[in-house]
Amino acid sequence: MSAVAATTTRAAEADELRRRRPNYTGIGLWLALVVTSALWALPFVIMFFTSVKTNPDISANAPWALPTEWRWANYADAWHTGNLGTTGLNSLIISAIKVPLGLLLAAGAAFAIARIRFRGHRVVLGLIAVGSMVPIQIGLGPLFSTMLNLDLLDSRWGLLLPYLAFGVPYQIFVLYGFFRSIPDELEESARIDGASTLRIFLQVILPLAKPALAALFILDFVATWNEYAMATTLLRSQGNWTVPLAVQSFSTQFATEYGPLNAFIIMSAVPVLIVYLMFQRYFVQGALAGAVKG
Amino acid sequence: MTAAATGRRQQVPAGPPERRIKRRRLLAALPYLLPAVALYGYFIVYPMLDSVRLSFYSWSGFRTEVPVFVGFDNYVRLFTADPVFWTSVRNSVIWVVLSLLIPMLLGLVLALGLNRRMLGRNLMRSIIYIPGVFASITVAAMWRWIYNPTLGLVNQALEAIGLGAWTQTWLGDPKIAIYSIFAASVWQAVGFPMILFLAGLQSVPPELVDAAKIDGAGTWQVFRNVTLPALRPTTVVVVILTIINSLKVFDLIVGMTGGGPAQSTQVLALWSYTQSFTNHSFGAGGAVATVLLILSLALVVPYMAWSMKGDDK
Repeated sequence: MSAVAATTTRAAEADELRRRRPNYTGIGLWLALVVTSALWALPFVIMFFTSVKTNPDISANAPWALPTEWRWANYADAWHTGNLGTTGLNSLIISAIKVPLGLLLAAGAAFAIARIRFRGHRVVLGLIAVGSMVPIQIGLGPLFSTMLNLDLLDSRWGLLLPYLAFGVPYQIFVLYGFFRSIPDELEESARIDGASTLRIFLQVILPLAKPALAALFILDFVATWNEYAMATTLLRSQGNWTVPLAVQSFSTQFATEYGPLNAFIIMSAVPVLIVYLMFQRYFVQGALAGAVKG
Repeated sequence: MTAAATGRRQQVPAGPPERRIKRRRLLAALPYLLPAVALYGYFIVYPMLDSVRLSFYSWSGFRTEVPVFVGFDNYVRLFTADPVFWTSVRNSVIWVVLSLLIPMLLGLVLALGLNRRMLGRNLMRSIIYIPGVFASITVAAMWRWIYNPTLGLVNQALEAIGLGAWTQTWLGDPKIAIYSIFAASVWQAVGFPMILFLAGLQSVPPELVDAAKIDGAGTWQVFRNVTLPALRPTTVVVVILTIINSLKVFDLIVGMTGGGPAQSTQVLALWSYTQSFTNHSFGAGGAVATVLLILSLALVVPYMAWSMKGDDK
């Protein structure tokens, strides 16, 4: 005990000593990080400038020059060209159903594997974990045929089914680790109080996994909102398009409308940015707890 | 977490034989397990296995046509008569190797830097991470503009600082196009390993760092002997996720070059898609997909072995 106390005092002294002379390494490091961050922010600055420039301005002046004339109408143009009223609504509906429902289904499965521990639960877990690591594109061709046979091709509701499935394995894998770490005593005392399995799942286990669920919610919302490969395979008519598919509306064979295109990119990311900022504080704790010992 | 898991003992109440309990457990588990597993099995696993089956058939993908069994023909053609397949293999491997070198190390360095208290730390973390929440297909569009040969940021900046001779058609030159796309992916992807490493760094015991410093260890020695060992589980996760994400690269390439110029930026995931849907050869597409599946599993299974070690109950 006293050894620990001595250690901390000496550490504090060392810190004090360091603080007295200017910390050149620290300042150098800070500058390097600031430069890196500025470099990372640069594409966003260019994107924003381009999004409010007129076509002649874009072709005449450097991309980092301030707009000669601020053309906010690009945003209205982008809304029309990208058909955001429709594509945005499609994406919102799909994400609003898929993300919570998919997460609930994955949590149920993880609960069964981690807490009920039926015979063969480890085999199921192994298969699911392997599945979470395999690129989705492997099955795209046959998925197209499957959806064709089910008559669910080019349908927003049809798209929901494979969408519900794609996040599930990774989520089960992460939540399994979380559920396993919950002490048995909690569950047992609830059971002695007469709680059913469903009650234990909903009122004991799920609330304890909130940080992991929040982190998975961000990851899954971002993945769903941005999903492109399945959507481009399974959706045809523009009325059913999701937001990522609408990007192609801005390029014809001959030219790209860079002003409206960049305005569209900015608008298309607003929902994910909102979700990211709302759940950010869960992200570092939750994502890492799950991912590090999945 | 591991200690808690292994230290626990399942209590089996005396009375009914164990087998009956196990059967009752399975019945209790089914309603929770079945919806997720059924969806996942039918819409993800079954199509993947069907890709393997179709790789032994010749089929255009049209419903009116019946697949014809052709044995290993698709594979023979792939390995001997399809130069684009080898380009795809090469590019996929390049992508995996470069991803392990650049975004992962950069993510680690950024995490180490941004783990210290400093002015603007949270802002800098967010700036680095935010490209990762943009859709890859929009990042592709953004970077096509940045790489625009005449008006784009890169070439204009090179002109402005007097390096006009260095300007390139970044996405139009088959020799460099794949690396140009990769640069965009570094910008987009570096935040995720950074976040994971930052999380991992919170598990480094500060007493250990202090003790090492008092024993006279320099910054490098502390990193080498204290921080790095504590980051080992995180590192394994980051390595695996990096490999898997590298094999999944699709949207960025579709959006920036579509696999061109002259198929020089093809990767396995995109070439499988192109064979199936553009060239209407589900057999060849299935064969490429099977190669990708085998490659992924070869990288995943060792990870599974590691991850499940010490969790045997």
